[in-house]
Amino acid sequence: MAHQAHAYHMVDPSPWPLTGAVAALLMTSGLAIWMHFNSVTLMSLGLVLLLLTMYQWWRDIVREGTFQGHHTPPVQKGLRYGMILFITSEVFFFLGFFWAFYHSSLAPTPELGGCWPPAGITTLDPFEVPLLNTAVLLASGVTVTWAHHSIMEGHRKQAIQSLTLTILLGFYFTILQALEYYEAPFTIADGVYGSTFFVATGFHGLHVIIGSTFLAVCLLRQVQYHFTSEHHFGFEAAAWYWHFVDVVWLFLYISIYWWGS
Amino acid sequence: MSDKFEEKIKNYRTAPFDARFPNTNQTRNCYQNYLDFHRCNKALSAKNQDPAPCEWYHRVYKSLCPISWVQKWDDQLESGSFAGRI
Repeated sequence: MAHQAHAYHMVDPSPWPLTGAVAALLMTSGLAIWMHFNSVTLMSLGLVLLLLTMYQWWRDIVREGTFQGHHTPPVQKGLRYGMILFITSEVFFFLGFFWAFYHSSLAPTPELGGCWPPAGITTLDPFEVPLLNTAVLLASGVTVTWAHHSIMEGHRKQAIQSLTLTILLGFYFTILQALEYYEAPFTIADGVYGSTFFVATGFHGLHVIIGSTFLAVCLLRQVQYHFTSEHHFGFEAAAWYWHFVDVVWLFLYISIYWWGS
Repeated sequence: MSDKFEEKIKNYRTAPFDARFPNTNQTRNCYQNYLDFHRCNKALSAKNQDPAPCEWYHRVYKSLCPISWVQKWDDQLESGSFAGRI
C-alpha cells in the first residue's frame, strides 16, 4: 500500500473552489443586474451558492484535519500563515476607510462649513452607547482568552461557558449597534460624514457578525470534542479574528466617535 | 491707521501672499476671506461702526475666488443654507 513520505497534505480533488468562483461571478454580476434592472434573483443565487460553498468546504477541512489527521505540524503552520495573511489583508481593507475618513475630516471643505463635524451634523455622544460597545468588545476579548486557556488546560465545561459568553457579548454588541443605527440623527446619505461613518462602522459590524459566527462554529466543535488541549487551530484562528475585530473597533471609536465628534 | 489702510486699498492690484496659505491649493484662502468679509461686516454693524475696513477682505476674495463659488455662496447666504459660520 503506497503512502506519502512527507508530512504535507495533498488535498483530494474538490469542487468547492469552482463553486466558490461561480458564486463570486453570480454575486458580482447579480449586483450589476440589481442596480440596473431591479432584480435580485441572480445575486441571491450567488449568495446561496456562496453559503453552500463555505459550509461544505470548511466541513471538508474539519473532516481532513480533525477526523483524518492530515493537519500535521507543518500543515498547521501553513494554516497559521494563511490566517495571518488573511487578517493582514483585512487590516489593509479597513485602512482604506480610515484613509477616507481622515482625508475628509482633517481638511473639511467649504461645502461642510470648513469644520468637522460638518455644519448641521449632530454626532453621537461617544460616552454613551459607543463607550458601552467598547467595554463589551474588550470584555469579549477577555472571555475569548479565558476560553483559550480553558481549552489548553483541558477544562471542557469552562471552555464552553467562556466561549458562549464571548458569543453572547458579540451579539450584545451587534444589537446595541443596530439600535444606534436605527436611532442615529444622521444617515449614510448625509454628506461625507454619513458616508465615512456608516461605511466604516458598517463593515466593522459585518466583521463582528462574521467573527461571532466563526466563534459559534468553534463552540459547536468544542461541544463535539473536536479540540484537544494541544491542537485546536480552528479556535485560535477564530480568536485571532475576534481580537482583530476588537482592535478595529478601538480605532473606529478613537477616530470617528471620539476625535470626530 | 486709516490713511495707511486707504493707501493699501488704493494701491490694491491683487491679493498679496498670505503665509497662512502657502501652498498651490488656494481654496481655503478664498473661503477664509469670504468668511472674514461677512464676519467683519456683521461684527462692525453690530457695534454700529463703519464697515469700511472689511473692504480689504472683499477685495481679496474677489481676486481669488472663482465667480461661480461666490455666486453659489451668496445664494446660499440669502436662502439661509450657507454652511459656514458667519
